Amino acid sequence: MSITSDILRGHTEAIILSHLLEKDSYGYQINKDIMKKTNNRYELKEATLYSAFRRLEQAGSIRTYWGDETTGARRRYYAITDFGRQAYLSYKQEWEEAKEMIDHLLQ
Amino acid sequence: MKEKIIQYFNQLFEEAPKTRKALELKQELTQNALDKYEDMIQEGRYSEEDAYQNVIQSVGDVNELFDDLEEKSLLELPEKDRKKRAMLKAVAVGLYIFAGVIFFSLEMISAVVPAYPFDGIGLVAAGLICIAPTIMLVYAANMYPGYSKKESMNMVEEFQQERYRSGRNKEIMGAISCIIWTAALVLYFLISFTVGGWHITWVIFLIAACVQSVAVLINSLRMDKEKRP
Repeated sequence: MSITSDILRGHTEAIILSHLLEKDSYGYQINKDIMKKTNNRYELKEATLYSAFRRLEQAGSIRTYWGDETTGARRRYYAITDFGRQAYLSYKQEWEEAKEMIDHLLQ
Repeated sequence: MKEKIIQYFNQLFEEAPKTRKALELKQELTQNALDKYEDMIQEGRYSEEDAYQNVIQSVGDVNELFDDLEEKSLLELPEKDRKKRAMLKAVAVGLYIFAGVIFFSLEMISAVVPAYPFDGIGLVAAGLICIAPTIMLVYAANMYPGYSKKESMNMVEEFQQERYRSGRNKEIMGAISCIIWTAALVLYFLISFTVGGWHITWVIFLIAACVQSVAVLINSLRMDKEKRP
């Protein structure tokens, strides 16, 4: 399990980008989606998640804005930029290559 | 229990730099934790205490986040400039001490040696040496970077800019009085040596004090005008 979570953590930024492709979202929502998609087997630590947000923002892959919820809970939303879409696509391609190679090597 | 979560994050961020970014991050993390806590309680599988523990556990190591915020701290000097500044101050203090030593040794020589021709040379030498460290200190005080208006102004930033402006003003006043006193010292020796009226030329220092008071007055009047447009 520790190898699995290490590998997953190494791809935090790509995982975030792929979530933001569908729609704008906020930290907890993204983490919840990750848990759902992995059948509760993987959950990001908040510190990992938010430092990934900061890195993505600095790189220009995402932008943020404060939502105006009427219920009182004020959330910061994240949205993917065009640059982020490109970054995601090239990342995905690299991953496919790496996956294929690792599959071959471990046969 | 929700109070406890908010408290926890307040405590966590006590060590963080006091910037707007840090405040926003705290809000974001707190809201995230509260959402999560509420979900866990609604699921009904957790007791309040368990849910609280789970929420706190899942935060992880926040220090990596803080490192990021540090750089954005306002009015913080870059490492290189800070070192330079410390160096300037150290050298300036050293020079002041050196000036003092020169003064006392020359005075002692003139006291011991009979018919010493250069009366008051110790004071002149010390005064001249003092000019260099004074310039250094003024320069070091002016090394703060200029405040730039990047994002939309809010109250915190306005306050910071105000504070920055008054700090800047103090530095300017320091430079002005430094010039006044150095000029007074130079004039004192020039006039005294050429005319030889040592018994009366010390009045120059009183005049310098007067000039400085006038400068302070003009400056404070100008500040008042800026505040009330």
